[in-house]
Amino acid sequence: MSVAQLSIELPELPPEAETLRREIRMFIAEEREAGRLPPPRKIGLGFDREMSRRIGARGWIGMTWPKAYGGQERTALERYVVTEELLAAAVPVGAHWVADRQSGPVLLKFGTEVQRRAYLPRIVTGDLTFSIGMSEPESGSDLASLKARAEKVDGGWRINGRKIWTTNAHHAQYMIVLVRTSEATGSRHEGISQLIVDLSLPGVTISPIVSMANEHDFNEVLFEDVVVGEDALIGKEGNGWNQVSAELALERSGPERWLSSFRLVSELVGALGPEAQSSTQEELGRVLSHLLALRQLSMSVASMIQQGKSANMEASIVKDLGTKFEQETVRVVRNIISAEDLTANGREDRLRALLIHAQQYAPAFTIRGGTNEILRGIIAKGIGLR
Amino acid sequence: MSEHRIFFRETVERILADALDKADIDAAEERVLPAGLYDALSENGIPLMLVPEDKGGIGATVADAAAILRAAGEAAAPGPILDTMLGQQLLAGSGLELASGLISLVFVDGLDVPEPGAEHWRDATIHAVPWGAAVEKVLVVAGSRLIVTNAADWTVTPERDAAGEPRDTLSARSLPVTVIALADGDAWLRTAAILRAAQCLGAIEWAFRRSVEYTGERKQFGREIGKFQAIQQMLAELAGHLLASAGLVEAAAEAMNPQLIAAARSRLGDAIDATITITHQVHGAMGFSLEYALNSRTRRLMAWRDDFGSTLYWRRLLAREFIHLDREAFWPAVSDAGLATVG
Repeated sequence: MSVAQLSIELPELPPEAETLRREIRMFIAEEREAGRLPPPRKIGLGFDREMSRRIGARGWIGMTWPKAYGGQERTALERYVVTEELLAAAVPVGAHWVADRQSGPVLLKFGTEVQRRAYLPRIVTGDLTFSIGMSEPESGSDLASLKARAEKVDGGWRINGRKIWTTNAHHAQYMIVLVRTSEATGSRHEGISQLIVDLSLPGVTISPIVSMANEHDFNEVLFEDVVVGEDALIGKEGNGWNQVSAELALERSGPERWLSSFRLVSELVGALGPEAQSSTQEELGRVLSHLLALRQLSMSVASMIQQGKSANMEASIVKDLGTKFEQETVRVVRNIISAEDLTANGREDRLRALLIHAQQYAPAFTIRGGTNEILRGIIAKGIGLR
Repeated sequence: MSEHRIFFRETVERILADALDKADIDAAEERVLPAGLYDALSENGIPLMLVPEDKGGIGATVADAAAILRAAGEAAAPGPILDTMLGQQLLAGSGLELASGLISLVFVDGLDVPEPGAEHWRDATIHAVPWGAAVEKVLVVAGSRLIVTNAADWTVTPERDAAGEPRDTLSARSLPVTVIALADGDAWLRTAAILRAAQCLGAIEWAFRRSVEYTGERKQFGREIGKFQAIQQMLAELAGHLLASAGLVEAAAEAMNPQLIAAARSRLGDAIDATITITHQVHGAMGFSLEYALNSRTRRLMAWRDDFGSTLYWRRLLAREFIHLDREAFWPAVSDAGLATVG
């Protein structure tokens, strides 16, 4: 059996990246100064349209895209720096997050010129929010078993089906929906297509799914005879599975896969001093070392993607390790709070609130965007086991 | 990887393939050094890699030396290779004559050691000295002092580490010494720590690869055990440990940044623990016999994990760099501290 050589090269960071990092930090400092970025009591991506517009005005949305569509033609590594800095500072980026990370790139790669011109310039300004219509009540990890379908009608498509876990569908103007457009004759992966749907159309019903963290981020979206035009099809009819696979790779290795509970660590460090017990230092040092390792790895993957190399297994490793790290961090912070007695008698109120929210939120880390068990299957394949 | 680093690594891999076999690795447990290996390494100048060219060495970087030690760890090469490489650099850097043979290197803390300029160490005992009876020089780094001794002047009580290699207790009265003031003893500890990390990484890589191969050979319930999801999940988890620690160790060896080195050693500690657990679990009972080669790597990982600063030592050190910071200053400090990049 041939075993894949596991190795990864150091990232190539363009010199402009560090200048950019200073600019973002300055922006964050100004936002704080102006009172527009209060310290959060919750984790997760906040939703703030005006914040997204201000970020867009700086040229930090769709920044790797061609200038013809409003982009800046900057590198993936520079985008990486922007997302890392914004997430670490808990800047609410939810209004543009999905469009910037995956919907825009999908349109760029597979969309028509008309589609690109219709959506991309409005994404970069922070005005458009996209949501993702993949999961269904009966289709989670086994996405190819989806039941939503679109049939060809005169001048377009008629969509029927039900999508769930659609983040921000209640705020979004558009959704890219994955539907079956023809029966699979061979592989189940055939006959699946991506359609872009205006969520204000008749026949679309959006209902909230409140999470166990008592948040309304998710929705169930019902499509009943929703009719869209020919121009709603993204890429080729029947090529949806390949398009989605490429899209999911973008979802896996970014800093959002290991920074979700970072705010909790910042708050903890803010509450700790040099007199902390040695067991506290050891646990904190361990967390920091895992964070730095993930960052090095995640940036190396961004560099591979920039160079056009395939990084499917490496990206899956980042997500598997990163999301487990996010969960473990919650446990470690909780233990340190107890060991150092940080929140007794109403002290460190915000840290306490954040911890509670992080505990409630943490089960989602290793599920959303592909469960870790599915990811490890991809990794096993990459190392030659399947 | 630079061209000369590839050349170094390939040279050493060739030497290891030619001059080291399982019998040599086993013989180390009987306190026999693989003489052929050390002769071949010396002929190629490897022990003098880190010594500057104007002092008769090769003047290679720590990252070059790390690449070589990674190959040595992969091959489970016994003996004080790391100690000799770094020891020669210490001697050269202190203006002393290079050793003609091998060197043992120990870092001590809290011992009553002689002052710079002293000629004798009145009552000396040091522990866990690698191959104390087989080397020419024993170097002791105590904070900002380097104490150079001849191995022959010590009384040796044989002890061993988890891999079965000698880690002796040495004692002496009125021991002849040369004591030199070191500008930065901690910097030497960091170099030793990252070189040991590279050696561990090599052993992890071997154990990982052998385990994946083994799951394709071993059949149970009528199929290769690698077809079972339970096995796949374990090895996928190990692949993550390997990639995460390798990235950080390489980055730290390249940048020689104190925070990155501490982080690399901390992260590696977990990777080592996972390697030992998972590779043995995957091998089942077969991996537990002394005869099977897996333990030549896993026992070395047990022996090396806490060398040159324990995993917990490096964690405390790393935490202390950041623990005093304000909540908003924390991320900028972390992010500016720890990243190695090309160019």
